[in-house]
Amino acid sequence: MIEMVHVSKAYEGNPKALFDITLKVEKGQFVYLFGPNGAGKSTLLKLLYAAERPTAGEVRVNAFDVVRMKPRKVPSLRRTLGLVFQDLKLLQRRTAQENIAFALEALRAERGEILKKAIQALRLVGLERKAECLPSELSAGEQQRLAVARAVVNDPVLLLADEPTGSLSLTAAEETIRLFEKINLRGTTVVLATHNEGIVNLWPKEKIVLEQGRLSEGPHPLPVAHD
Amino acid sequence: MTQNPWLNAITLGTIALSFLVLGLFLVIFLNTKGLLEEWGSRIRVTAYLSSTVDLSQALRLGQKVRGLEEVQEVKYRSKEEALRILEERMPERKEWLRGLPRNPLPASLEVRLKGEYQNAEGVQSLVKKLRGTPGIEDLQYGSDWLEKFSAFMALLKVLGLSLGGLLLLATIIVISNTIRLNIFARREEIEIMRSVGATGLFIRAPFYMEGVLQGLLGVVLALGMLYAFFLLFLARVYEPLKGLLGNFPIQFLSWEQMVAMGLGGVVLGLFGTQVSVGRYLRL
Repeated sequence: MIEMVHVSKAYEGNPKALFDITLKVEKGQFVYLFGPNGAGKSTLLKLLYAAERPTAGEVRVNAFDVVRMKPRKVPSLRRTLGLVFQDLKLLQRRTAQENIAFALEALRAERGEILKKAIQALRLVGLERKAECLPSELSAGEQQRLAVARAVVNDPVLLLADEPTGSLSLTAAEETIRLFEKINLRGTTVVLATHNEGIVNLWPKEKIVLEQGRLSEGPHPLPVAHD
Repeated sequence: MTQNPWLNAITLGTIALSFLVLGLFLVIFLNTKGLLEEWGSRIRVTAYLSSTVDLSQALRLGQKVRGLEEVQEVKYRSKEEALRILEERMPERKEWLRGLPRNPLPASLEVRLKGEYQNAEGVQSLVKKLRGTPGIEDLQYGSDWLEKFSAFMALLKVLGLSLGGLLLLATIIVISNTIRLNIFARREEIEIMRSVGATGLFIRAPFYMEGVLQGLLGVVLALGMLYAFFLLFLARVYEPLKGLLGNFPIQFLSWEQMVAMGLGGVVLGLFGTQVSVGRYLRL
């Protein structure tokens, strides 16, 4: 599902944003990408959905060779993924249902299917009664769930989430993790980036630990990803 | 286009104004050109024949002149015919003219030029060939005004092209700017579309359509305003001058010319959009 081999990423102001990362995530796993702020979690996720290219190394996601593939193939990769951004990126002037439908329209889904799938996704995350609400009318936890619904509406094989519990209360965070578990049980591989040690300890999963751009060799186990 | 109605209205207005000015220039230029061509078709070179040239010699001379490359037609006018025409033009002097002891008017060859030579250069070229031909005593050709008018037309053409070029550039900039602002306004939607795997074509296409629509609507609006201006103003201003200008009928743009302007609007729309999409919508 995910394979990274000796991957590094350098920026102008940060020559070692990621350094010599080698890891593997198997299909069907639920993995935390854990580390403090600035550890390189978001950067690693960006490499997985080809928003950035590594400076060195190989990256393979869902059989796509992210390093070698042509830019016009990036949409094909992303159609196999679900992305939950740290800042959610909900469209504030559209209702919950319209936010999900927008993603399906962008994928040129058939008109008849769009409404059906949008409602199914809302039902999955428990927001079917809030279909006509604007994001501003939803709580923080509900907005998070809406972002997840949009990410999974197209049945992705891999779901990448960047700090989905960042601004949530413990209760809302638990709801979110349970939701991700539910999605994982349906067969979707989940990689969830978080700096929240409480989350990681309360609902333990396999972990990839990053510290200052490197895989941690501390008390946590080395590169991951076996059940 | 409904997302930023004011911005799009301003863009549309600017495009319409640009094409209105261009269209106005085109109408004036085309009609002036048409007038010049009509006047040009009336250009004659009159070759007055020597009094020693008899009819058969005159006819032979006429055939020779007819063979010149600039010449469309040659008509022989006898002394008697010339006098008759003068009597018609000066009826108050008719009796006096008939009382003259002899006809002072010479016979002449009325030479009409081919279309492509109906200009100052064509006339000069023919006159050069005719001057000094045995049997031709004098030549008359009124090309002074023609030269000035040709120069005026050339100036009008240069001004029109320069102004047109500037206006087209302004139109491209305006469309490009509007598209840029629309890209900015829709940046969140664009980012989401990219993240879910929408193709570049799917993301860009609406912007191209918007640019084309703006260009096309701008031209349609301009043509509407131009036609109203033509009917209500130009036609009325021209009416009193019509007699002086040989009753030449001024015309609006033809359907082909209007379609060409429409296509021009479409091309400008595409080009203006590409400037912004290429720069601000890298996917």
